[in-house]
Amino acid sequence: MRALQVDRSLARFVTARVSSRPAAVRLTETPSPTPPGPDWVTIRPLLSGICGSDLATVYGRASRWFEPYVSFPFVPGHEIVAETAGGERVVVEPVLHCRIRGVDPLCSACADGRTNRCENLAAGHLAAGLQTGYCNQTGGGWSASLVAHRQQLHPVPSGWSDEAAVMVEPVACSVHAAMSAPPGAGPVAAVIGAGTIGLATIAAIRTFREDVTTVIAVAKHPEQRRLARQLGADFVANPDELRRAVRRATGSWILDNGQLTGGADVVFDCVGTSESLSESTAVAAPGATVVLAGMPGQVGVDLTALWQRELRLAGAYAYGPERNAGDRHSFDLSMQLIAEHDLGRLVSARYPLDRHSDALEHASHAGARGATKVVFDLRQEKRR
Amino acid sequence: MTRPGFVLEVDRSTPPILTWHGEGFRLENLPAGRSRVIYPPEPLESLRDPDAAIREALASPLGDSKPLRELLFPGMRLTIAFDDISLPLPPMRRPDNRQRVIEAVLDIAAAAGVDDVALICALALHRRMTESELRHAIGDRVYDSFAPIGRLLQHDAEDPEGLIHIGVTERGEDVEINRRAAESDLIVYVNINLVAMDGGHKSVATGLASYRSLRHHHNVKTMRHSKSFMDPEHSALHSSNWRMGRLLAASGVKIFQIETTLNNDAFPSQTAFLQKREWEWSARDRASYVASTRALSLLTPRAARSLFQSIKAPHAMTSVYAGEVEAVHAETTRMVHRQQLVEVQGQTDVAIFGLPHICPYNVNSIMNPILVMCMGLGYLFNLYRGRPIVREGGVAILSHPTPWAFHPVHHPSYIDFFEEVLSETTDPVVIEKNYEQRFATDEWYRHLYRTSHAYHGVHPFYMWYWGAHALEHLGRVIVVGGNRKAVRRLGFSPASTIADALEMASDVVGDEPTISHFHCPPIMIADVK
Amino acid sequence: MSGQLPGAHSPDKRLPVTARSWAQARSGVRRRIRTASTFPLGSPPWPGTVELPPADKTLGVHYDSEWARSPFARRARTALQATVANPLLRALTSPSVRGLDRLAHFDEPAIFVANHSSHLDAPLILSVIPPRWRDELFVAGAADYFFDTHPKAVLSALALNAVPMERQRVSRTSAGRATQLLDDGWSMLIFPEGGRSPDGWGQPHRPGAAWLAVRSSVPVVPLYLEGTARILPKGSRRPKPGHVTVNFGAPILPPSDGDSRTFARTIEDAIAALADELAGDWYAARRRAAAGTTPPLSGPDATAWRRSWALGAARTGAGPKADSSRWPWNHRP
Repeated sequence: MRALQVDRSLARFVTARVSSRPAAVRLTETPSPTPPGPDWVTIRPLLSGICGSDLATVYGRASRWFEPYVSFPFVPGHEIVAETAGGERVVVEPVLHCRIRGVDPLCSACADGRTNRCENLAAGHLAAGLQTGYCNQTGGGWSASLVAHRQQLHPVPSGWSDEAAVMVEPVACSVHAAMSAPPGAGPVAAVIGAGTIGLATIAAIRTFREDVTTVIAVAKHPEQRRLARQLGADFVANPDELRRAVRRATGSWILDNGQLTGGADVVFDCVGTSESLSESTAVAAPGATVVLAGMPGQVGVDLTALWQRELRLAGAYAYGPERNAGDRHSFDLSMQLIAEHDLGRLVSARYPLDRHSDALEHASHAGARGATKVVFDLRQEKRR
Repeated sequence: MTRPGFVLEVDRSTPPILTWHGEGFRLENLPAGRSRVIYPPEPLESLRDPDAAIREALASPLGDSKPLRELLFPGMRLTIAFDDISLPLPPMRRPDNRQRVIEAVLDIAAAAGVDDVALICALALHRRMTESELRHAIGDRVYDSFAPIGRLLQHDAEDPEGLIHIGVTERGEDVEINRRAAESDLIVYVNINLVAMDGGHKSVATGLASYRSLRHHHNVKTMRHSKSFMDPEHSALHSSNWRMGRLLAASGVKIFQIETTLNNDAFPSQTAFLQKREWEWSARDRASYVASTRALSLLTPRAARSLFQSIKAPHAMTSVYAGEVEAVHAETTRMVHRQQLVEVQGQTDVAIFGLPHICPYNVNSIMNPILVMCMGLGYLFNLYRGRPIVREGGVAILSHPTPWAFHPVHHPSYIDFFEEVLSETTDPVVIEKNYEQRFATDEWYRHLYRTSHAYHGVHPFYMWYWGAHALEHLGRVIVVGGNRKAVRRLGFSPASTIADALEMASDVVGDEPTISHFHCPPIMIADVK
Repeated sequence: MSGQLPGAHSPDKRLPVTARSWAQARSGVRRRIRTASTFPLGSPPWPGTVELPPADKTLGVHYDSEWARSPFARRARTALQATVANPLLRALTSPSVRGLDRLAHFDEPAIFVANHSSHLDAPLILSVIPPRWRDELFVAGAADYFFDTHPKAVLSALALNAVPMERQRVSRTSAGRATQLLDDGWSMLIFPEGGRSPDGWGQPHRPGAAWLAVRSSVPVVPLYLEGTARILPKGSRRPKPGHVTVNFGAPILPPSDGDSRTFARTIEDAIAALADELAGDWYAARRRAAAGTTPPLSGPDATAWRRSWALGAARTGAGPKADSSRWPWNHRP
């Protein structure tokens, strides 16, 4: 079968990083992965999304933190809507936690159901890999076929488009981010970034967070601004307008050096750069929570405000049963959100594997090019 | 000899016409056969000895007022209020009219043995003036006499202790003004009447009023019924101020009004071409036009701004009247009209307004996009008597670079207005309903207005209301040479040249439209028959 | 050494060799130079018993300074002022000029009348007066002081456009010349005290300035100079840099009834009021002027020490230039 594959090749990573081209990935013919156990099935991807963390990998910018949690060579792609041999459409919950790895006893997080916090991502009978799409035994979404554990599969509601279904995984991440701010934090939320995660976070706040009355979004590009507003942002600011927007919404003052006296009660950083994190801490009110929804990597931030204002910096990774929503699973909430806001429309471009370079370029400049989610369309791919 | 205003019918041999463009100017060709250029009258003769004229005016006041000397007595409380930085434009060379008048008043007060004197800058919701601006306006001697002892005050429309509610007019308008002024035995108001809007009861009823009082006439409804606000006879803004002024008089607030007028000599002699008719430009004028446009093209916007802001006009005093407010203002308005009225026959489909570098709210500051709107559609559009120079449904073409730039100290609420309010709507009624209250009561704006040099939080709204009549009247507004994003945010259409703008205008008013070019500054009033 | 008793040693002589004795040695050198300029090296004194020959008709009040108003001399004077005198005066006196706005609408020849306490006064006023008047202005100089020798006369005429004038009473020669120049459109600078103040306080005005103004119906612009006496007082040869304030008053028209005595008093009061303005604030000065309680420039009518004591008190308001440097460069709270 044809697949996009990432090899353990320093030369490729360096080339990708230096040339700013997606050079760490190549299109190749590989044998389809074989199921590693009885509970595993072969599935055929229909659409497979390109995520920010994928882009970091193929452009050679991923943090070395992930090194022990991947096994080379691997096929990326973890936002997957696929078809089983029986013709049933499923979305994949890609985290490869204790149960899937056959680890017994379970780690305490998995025992608690919070599989995204699993401690055994490199243990068990399966090769290392934090998710499907990082493990050389499972394969990944950017190919014609892969294997998945039955527990990973969520059936797609009937009548849904493939586009809506492929959004379930990324939107679940946003739902998890929105739910990870403590309940009753306060009425004003700021969402920095208006890519898939940012936009879905806005929608998730609007649907699931009744304690938040005002959502201020930061978007750079016109299409992002339009969508942010549609999905329920009360005010959409340019990056350099954020502080003033938060000031207006919170009635605080701006001090001479541009600092706010107060700020937003919860801030979602859906970008994960030094700038976005600095801005997040700058507009957070004393005691506020800053949720990192975007994958940050190595950043440089002045954390004085974090210390002096007793901010809480909270990561929000993947999904699981949501404590703030009666333990409903993020995927469940995500499906509700997608149906409610028609989030399938966020899929703005589909590419065949042959045009993977164009696809990845497009995805890495999605905002500027008026796009949100770019996906690989594998429906025409030959199955072998 | 001063020539009156002039309306030039453009023909094939007409030279290109000077058109202001912010910190600069261009020569623009206008279509022959259907365009006209409206030129202001030339500067009137000034008073030969202004100080003597002031003394004379104080000694023989108009109306039922007694001479100033007889109104002053030892042990009294005297408050001298004066116009703020928004007048005149450009700022005049020293000595300013205000300094001359205030010194003359104080001379008499000194002779009368008055000790309790306070000076108040009647800035309403404008920004507080800086020390150097005050020194320029009222002179070093007056500044040094009163500032160090805390008797030079700037009106604070948000100081609950410093305001007093006088009463309510028959139309239910609150009259609330500066307490020190209201509780004085006499208010002497020292005014500079640059345009017909200024002066009269507006001086005290607006200049020394609180937000609570101002909102009764600074609103969309009033501004839409002021046609125009430059014509007090037909201005709801002025009717309201007059009701308030009469209530003040009836409540025992004694005002001795001193109004001065200036000629329209707005630019120094090196740039005389700016106020000459193009076909009369001498070799020297042409050389200075070429040299100045070349030099300006080399400057950064910031440098150009500081160069233009340093211009001090050779304005000279043409009259001074003192006494009872309405009697004084009638004479003053007559003088303003003598200097500014230009008779114009009929309306045209299109009007072209070249916007200069300055408007009342950006002295020593930046002309931000909201002020561009206010200058074009508020001030220049309204400089008419009778009917607007452009017909209903017509097109106004403004020429200004319209930078996306704001003075962070002077205009903090303008930035928010532009970013938040205008990105939602440009409809004055919606803006007034949905946003005014929040901006007017924002504590941060209030703090900056009271302690720094910021315009009041609600001030950008007033700028927008100022253009409400024009927005309702016009079919389209086109801005030539502006920052496109900023122009669109204002709800206007950007164009790169006057020719393009005229093409775009023909979509609205049809082919071959008639055009008026308003050759301002210097300021004039088109008397449209 | 004037206060030294006969036969006593100067206290310096009893001290060991110090910086002070070095200064004394230097002043000794200066004394020797002065000795060298006396007879026989200098010109001999004229015995009182011998009758004086008739005065030189080309000096004193008779000195004809017409040449100093030729185009060439005027240009030379302007150049001299621009390149040498004005920079030097600015450095020495760092003048702050006030009240020029009172002349903004005034555009006629005028008689500038000022108080006088230093040789710096005339050149300083010339350096700050607006060009409108400076370019056609002559200075009334004491005939017996500035025009007693040819070199002094030439220098005064060239540098200041000085015209000789008697101190005690105006003679026909000098009055005629001054009125002629005023009639020709020249402005004039005159010090009606008739000479520099010996102690810093003003002296009574002589009536000449008022008389000339009335005679030629030229407006008078009063001027008050504060601080030149500290920089170069009468009797001093070495100027001490300091800060000077020049306060211009509003022009005063001469009375139509031709009463020059009253007018002289008006001018004197105007200058006193200008001085009062500098000491406090303008409005308070106007209040005192209106009440007739402006402190006179002539100081209190008392003994010498009390007069100089009062002078020190009057000056505290306008001392040397305020120290503008701040911490950390200047360690002062």
